[in-house]
Amino acid sequence: MVDGNTSREQLLEIFRSVDTQTLITMALIFLIAYVLGRIITILLLKLSEKLSHTGRIKVEVVIPIIKFVIYLIAFYFIFREIFKIFGPEIFLLAGLLGAAIGFGLKDLFSDIVGGLVITFEKPYQIGDKISIGNYFGEVTDIGLRSTKLFTPDANVVTAPNSLIFKETVASANYGVSEMMVVIDLYIAGESHVETAMRILWEAVVSSKYVYISKERPVILLHKALPFYTRLRAKAYVNDLRDQFKFESDVHTRAWVEFQKNGIRAPQLHILNIPSIEEKYESEATTRRNMGSNAEGLKDSR
Amino acid sequence: MENMVGIQHSSSREKDFVEVLGLREEIEKIQSTIADFETGKKLNIAIVAEPLKGKTTLSDKIERINLNRAAKITFSKIVQNKNEISLPDDTKKIVILDNCHFLYMRKPGGFDIFYEFLDMISFQNRIFITTWNTNSWKFLNEAFGLGKYFPVQIFIPAFEKENLRLFILNRYEKDEIKFAKDEESEEEPFFYIMKYPLELALLGKKIFILVPKINISYLKNRLLKKQKIEAAEDQVFEKLYLESKGNPGIALRIWELGLDYPVMKPKNIGQFSYEVDLEYEEAFTLSLILSYQGLTKSEITEIMGPMSSVDKILYQLLSQELILKDENDSYRVRPEALSSVTTYMEKLRLVW
Repeated sequence: MVDGNTSREQLLEIFRSVDTQTLITMALIFLIAYVLGRIITILLLKLSEKLSHTGRIKVEVVIPIIKFVIYLIAFYFIFREIFKIFGPEIFLLAGLLGAAIGFGLKDLFSDIVGGLVITFEKPYQIGDKISIGNYFGEVTDIGLRSTKLFTPDANVVTAPNSLIFKETVASANYGVSEMMVVIDLYIAGESHVETAMRILWEAVVSSKYVYISKERPVILLHKALPFYTRLRAKAYVNDLRDQFKFESDVHTRAWVEFQKNGIRAPQLHILNIPSIEEKYESEATTRRNMGSNAEGLKDSR
Repeated sequence: MENMVGIQHSSSREKDFVEVLGLREEIEKIQSTIADFETGKKLNIAIVAEPLKGKTTLSDKIERINLNRAAKITFSKIVQNKNEISLPDDTKKIVILDNCHFLYMRKPGGFDIFYEFLDMISFQNRIFITTWNTNSWKFLNEAFGLGKYFPVQIFIPAFEKENLRLFILNRYEKDEIKFAKDEESEEEPFFYIMKYPLELALLGKKIFILVPKINISYLKNRLLKKQKIEAAEDQVFEKLYLESKGNPGIALRIWELGLDYPVMKPKNIGQFSYEVDLEYEEAFTLSLILSYQGLTKSEITEIMGPMSSVDKILYQLLSQELILKDENDSYRVRPEALSSVTTYMEKLRLVW
């Protein structure tokens, strides 16, 4: 049995024996892994942009896995170097490492574990549009420590991977290129609803951005509220990147046709009345959307 | 054959085109549905095919078979007036409607005629035989459930190589066309490398892969001591078949482009692969042209809306040689570019 002072001295002695060459080798291994990971990511992302919508998502899915494998190999070589230096004393070092993680590096460690969970459990993938915490955007990269999101306002948000343990993640498309978009149009209560519904239907199905199939149908909902009427269309945009263009396209063309048919917007002051019921329903719809996407995914698999 | 720029029509032998191409099963199915109608069972018929595949020819044949009891209406542009589809009471009981993809305009407020048409085919005591562009059909089927109105659906199959040969050679007198081997090959090759066209919808382009071929007909010819020239003919039709994927309209166009009358050589059969690179609006416009088979500028403007610069879009499509303007001022996809365009549209999922 080794007493505390002896082991500390042994450890210090080992540290002193570490030569510069070994340190450079370990740093080089990490650098090569990082550069290789970046090059492969960039090449695959470029390739994916040339592919079809579905092909793009499929290629992007493999990027985090490839990066993980590269880092795994790099860590293997780094630990081999470490083991060469420390031998069985590595277990002493492990204690120190544990303490370091416990005190200073716990967030980093938690982010890395989060990265592994994201890579293999796939709560979201590169190319998905997700909401996590207060952030919403398209996932452009999943790294060991953080996930990068490209927001609709063209900001790049770097969200730590550990958020996955604390926050609920909502993926709007979950690995497919089409995505459900909910479009609400409000019209005056006295408007002819059947005509308005027909126009909205035609505006949606004729849009250049729509994707329709048996699994991805267009659904129209009508709700008469005390002072106005809400028409809601649920349809899938062909490419999730065109989400807002799709909404705008449907709004513009539907309103042009509404005006031709004498369908008016409600009075402005009526819309300013906050509606608790509307808010609740909107949240419920989001939950249902997520459910339907999950079902769609099952089908697509 | 459908109306197509650069293709000669209506030679006397073309009248038997359908029989030559082996659409007997399809004709029998249609005739049996007509017979059922006469015994009180009404099932409307949809003939669906890619552009230039022969749906108009098939419907012409059906009209000829049922000459005294069938009436035919052909639409050649988007129908904007309900009167154009209203049938007088004394109209015959079999109604053939050709190019029904012209019965809607893809925009809000552009489906009124289409709804009228659906009412008409549902409630009138007539049998309706209709023809549709496959891309329009798929869109209308997904959006409006069109297939439910047509229990009998005929999808024209790709033609066999031998049928394509008959279809093309039937236009000429016997031995009118001379097949010559390519100059560079002094001897007919027993074994040769062929470029096989492969459509990659994932990449949205057509690539050519090299495939080794054994010249079996050459061997047969040598054994039977026939003329060597027949091997050249086989190579011509093999290349024509691969390039057109069995679409007679495309095959005929490629044939005409390569024919140095009266001589045809294997190397004259062009292999067409277009590098399509379009912005989304241009691609959508192209998908419309593909789905309607032919659209005028005013029709495109009406569908795309005033905010789209249709002139610029059409200029791009014309300059990339993907479309052409025919004698009726309609824009159509170039027949030889059809497969590249379709592959690109499938990549963008603008056609399904």
